Amino acid sequence: MSLLTLEDITVSASTKGGGIDVLRDLSLTIDQGELVGIVGESGAGKSMVGRMIAGMLPRGFAVSQGQALFQGENLVAMSASGRSEYLGAQIAFVPQHPMTSLNPVLSLGAQFDEHLRRLGITDRRIRREMAIAALDSVHLPRPADLLARYPHQLSGGQCQRALIAMAFSSKPDLIVADEPTTALDVITQARVMELIAELQHQQNTGLLFITHDLRLAAKHCQRIIVMYAGEIVESGPAEALLEDPIHPYTRSLVAANPTLSGPLRRLAALPDHMPGLSSFADLPGCRFAPRCPVRDRDCAAARPMLAETTSGRFVRSTGACRAAQREMVAEALLPQVEIPLDAPAMLDVTSLGKTFGARRGLIGRRRDPVVAVDNVSFRISPGEFVGLVGESGSGKSTVARLLLGLETPDTGTVSVDGHDITGPFERTAEARIALIQMVFQDPQSALNPRRRIGRLVTQSMEAHAPRPDWPARLERARELLRQTGLAPDTVGRYPSQVSGGQRQRVNIARAICTAPKVLIADEIVSGLDVSVQAQILDLLLEMRQHLGISMLFISHDLSVVRYLCSRVAIMNQGKIVEQGPTETLFRNPQHEYTRSLIAAVP
Amino acid sequence: MSGEIFGIILRRLLVAIPLMLLVSVLVFVVLRLIPADPLSMAVPPNATKADIEAMRREMGLHLPVIQQYAIWLGQLVQGNLGKSIAFGQPVATLIGQSLPATIELAFFGALFATLIGLGGGILMFRLRGSGGEQVADVGSTLMMSIPEFLWALFLILIFGVSLNLLPFAGRLPPDVTVTNITGFLLLDCLLSGNVSAFFSALKHMLLPSLALALGTAPLIMRVLRSSLLDVIGEDYVTMARLRGIPERRVVNRHALRNALLPALSLMGVQFGFLFGGTLLVEVIYSYPGLGNMMVEAVRNTDLPIIQGAALVFALAVLTINLIVDVLYIVVNPKLRRAR
Amino acid sequence: MMDDGRSAWQRVLRSGRVLFGGGILLLLFICAAAAPLIAPFDPNEQDLLNALKGPFWTDTAADGHWLGTDNLGRDTLSRLIYGSRVALFVAFCAAVGTMLFGTTLALLAGYFGGAVDWIISRAVDLWMSFPPVVLSLILIVGFGVGLGNVILAIILVDWTRFCRVVRSEVLVIRRQNYVDAARLAGFSHLRTMVREVLPGALPLIITLMSLEMGIAVIVEAILSFVGMSVEASIPAWGVMIADARKYMYQSSWGLVLPIIAIVLTVLAFNLLGDGLRRTLDARLQQH
Repeated sequence: MSLLTLEDITVSASTKGGGIDVLRDLSLTIDQGELVGIVGESGAGKSMVGRMIAGMLPRGFAVSQGQALFQGENLVAMSASGRSEYLGAQIAFVPQHPMTSLNPVLSLGAQFDEHLRRLGITDRRIRREMAIAALDSVHLPRPADLLARYPHQLSGGQCQRALIAMAFSSKPDLIVADEPTTALDVITQARVMELIAELQHQQNTGLLFITHDLRLAAKHCQRIIVMYAGEIVESGPAEALLEDPIHPYTRSLVAANPTLSGPLRRLAALPDHMPGLSSFADLPGCRFAPRCPVRDRDCAAARPMLAETTSGRFVRSTGACRAAQREMVAEALLPQVEIPLDAPAMLDVTSLGKTFGARRGLIGRRRDPVVAVDNVSFRISPGEFVGLVGESGSGKSTVARLLLGLETPDTGTVSVDGHDITGPFERTAEARIALIQMVFQDPQSALNPRRRIGRLVTQSMEAHAPRPDWPARLERARELLRQTGLAPDTVGRYPSQVSGGQRQRVNIARAICTAPKVLIADEIVSGLDVSVQAQILDLLLEMRQHLGISMLFISHDLSVVRYLCSRVAIMNQGKIVEQGPTETLFRNPQHEYTRSLIAAVP
Repeated sequence: MSGEIFGIILRRLLVAIPLMLLVSVLVFVVLRLIPADPLSMAVPPNATKADIEAMRREMGLHLPVIQQYAIWLGQLVQGNLGKSIAFGQPVATLIGQSLPATIELAFFGALFATLIGLGGGILMFRLRGSGGEQVADVGSTLMMSIPEFLWALFLILIFGVSLNLLPFAGRLPPDVTVTNITGFLLLDCLLSGNVSAFFSALKHMLLPSLALALGTAPLIMRVLRSSLLDVIGEDYVTMARLRGIPERRVVNRHALRNALLPALSLMGVQFGFLFGGTLLVEVIYSYPGLGNMMVEAVRNTDLPIIQGAALVFALAVLTINLIVDVLYIVVNPKLRRAR
Repeated sequence: MMDDGRSAWQRVLRSGRVLFGGGILLLLFICAAAAPLIAPFDPNEQDLLNALKGPFWTDTAADGHWLGTDNLGRDTLSRLIYGSRVALFVAFCAAVGTMLFGTTLALLAGYFGGAVDWIISRAVDLWMSFPPVVLSLILIVGFGVGLGNVILAIILVDWTRFCRVVRSEVLVIRRQNYVDAARLAGFSHLRTMVREVLPGALPLIITLMSLEMGIAVIVEAILSFVGMSVEASIPAWGVMIADARKYMYQSSWGLVLPIIAIVLTVLAFNLLGDGLRRTLDARLQQH
């Protein structure tokens, strides 16, 4: 008997127009000791699976069909109190946001103690011993001291290890981990994943690993299930699925992920984005059809079924995709970028430094001085993309703010196209605006929600006297939108009315309004889905080709940096530890930190 | 941790000194703006111009403002707050006599406000999702629209006049006296073994402190309810549920402790303001406290009392803020320094 | 999709609280504006033969005096109507003044941070070490009685509440990237503050103004109860309460009616503010 079997589970949301099937005909099995990954972009419904198992669907959502058999018992038919018997005991959970998943006013020890008491361990001393042993098993140093600490005194990685310790401490049969490493740094992510895999293997637990990262899932999971728009589109053994994907969506997922090694191919960017809940009613047939490169007329009409192709591999396919499977070709190789080596630098940064110091002693709270940026130097040639890689806290965002004048550097100089623009924004504003601009990471916070997009992208025209009249602005707005691949009627929309990927394009359009020579892109693709990320990356390449713009591309994602940038600088704790041509650096890293970064990429 | 708390108290006290200084300047300056003549109350009807001038010189009112302030400050540090123009007695004595009554009222007012506010907030939270929620909401808005002095009058009308259940004038019935030991009536009753007076004093205190409490409690209710609503959606509450912890424990142990923090912070501010409420409440209940005296002083333009009382009130607010801040740090580990 | 501004208005007008509170206030405004036309008697006209009469539903009612009379025979209804003038005038002026003063300082403090924030926050702390009632009494003693002084006193006491709340909101907005983006586009500090930051705080400011008006009515009532508000010849609700209190046993209605007037007015302001906050906040959440 398998550990968990979901049979034709359908979760519906009751809305004014009728029910929408958020999850449709979901069937999967996990056996004891198996590590299964559910992979999907945001909105695919993968988190809904975890919530359904826990019995914590949001208000208005309910399981309308199917059963979920856990060790033979149907979870769906169980009462809430019956199901909560299982929770934390036989079925454990590892959350996505470790730092906020622990009660901030209770010590770690108190929360562990509560958990163990619920499991029925009555002796206080035994509970403490078990807690210490559990923290030890997740390689946390000095566990006895740690129990007295509060969550805000621990790092994200430490919190997650503690939560993993709690999950495994009840020796559960099944663990559901919903994006457990997404909120962590790359290196921490790799270590925590290894820890989970290690413990899972030791205790022979069945583990359902939910993630958006296909490569990460493939590295650790035995089987992978790919979801799209609430349905399973493909499932099978991890390696086989990654090497030879069958369903067009899986193929594009694999092809849209930039790699750290192997030939540099152009990313296959699918148009648009995954349909939202409200569009499901308009898609009676295959829900992937509108974006599918190999669709035919029948695809949109009839709903394809999940069928087994070879042993263990299931695909939801129509005749069209089966036929096209053999014909899909690999994408073209990326053209090499020629950078004139003797041209004067477009962006020249020398010995940049910034320390956030201690403040007033008596009245305010004392803080130790933090060296955010320490002697950072690099150059960008005209038309070159240079990557700045670092984890959170490395100082890379501070560098961006220093370059833009949002912070004043303590030491060093910044010059663009020969003009010295070191110093606070006010002093150098006139010169700056046409020279260097920034694309912010979070388009939600970067676009004023009360302004229409047309006004937003041409904002910099407003600040200058003489102010151009509205028709001139409209003209420029349309042009900018065209350059960033948006429809001209987007001009009249509000930021909340367009998708995440489109918002990011608007962000970029605004930044190029003054035709700056240098763009700083601070983690601009981090929050985006793989296919949308590919679209933006391609857009940036086009912009380089047509506008000749130089860019400092700040990111923590090495594969993306490899795709875009000809040179890269690695930052750690405020210093640049290594910099050079991308290929050479990644193939043969010199510094230990770079090596650990590369090793951490799945 | 206790070392940290000591450090905080010390820092606060150090900040309090310049603050009180500024407060005293503020009070002094504002009162010197006065259009009316502060002497008008104290001057006997048959005084000649020379007499008036002599009084003026005696009170130092002919000196420049800064000098007057310096003199006043100097005397203040020695404990001398001047003499009341209307009563002729030293201000410090008068304040010392009336302050304990106000403190008693404020204490019980704060106590009731805490009980009603926290209890009501939890109740409103429990009603969420039901039809009672809207009723409770409008009800609490209505309660919030009634200031203390109107509550005071309401309570008199209902419990005093109509139902004739509780007394509403003074601290004790006119025929009862208790020897004055500490000034705190309840303590004095217990210390002199007068049990019937003790209960009578309690009854006299009930309506005024209730009025004070009802002026503050609705706001506390609403803040607690809204912070409970915020907290119940947090990740750690979901995580506790996912660990199979029963809902009641989730609410009481996890949600409530966190939700209390904003309410505590509010209570600190509000209890400081409670002292302001004693002014009218004491007048309405003919309660011989500092608030009553201040209102009298304002009516008589009795500057020394106004100055002295204002300083005492400011001191009271600062003290309460300090107490609540310390409590807050004890309850909220996030404010302790990360090791 | 509709224009954002229009849909917000529609939502606001559909809120029960806004309609109820706004309705009462509209009624009050009409009362106040048309007082000479509506009031049956001159509010200061004494009629000692008809003193302390009850409202029309009691057995001590007198002809023509629908809500009874006070101890000097003055008509209660007329005094209530004229009292609404004082209440609404003070409410409006004080709220506007508090809003201007408090918001300006809050914007400066939240936007610039650093030393500016420190000074303004310390000033707020200093002001808030007084209970508001005490401070307003002291200010009135210093300024003297009169409607203008009352308004000034309320502004000087309550700007701190406005400032503190708006400052928190400004701090949140300031952290949004679009404020930095506006600066990078070349806007001056002033422009950025007014065009990018202020509109975000506007819903909160509108809500606070409504609540502030309720508070102003209460403070005025307190001051007139103590006799330190308007001149004796102008009827105010607080004065009515102070007078009626002495004759509580003979005619409690004279006490109850102005109390109800005050509570109803403040309730209307609170409901309006609450309704505005819910509807305007919800719009922001959609983004």
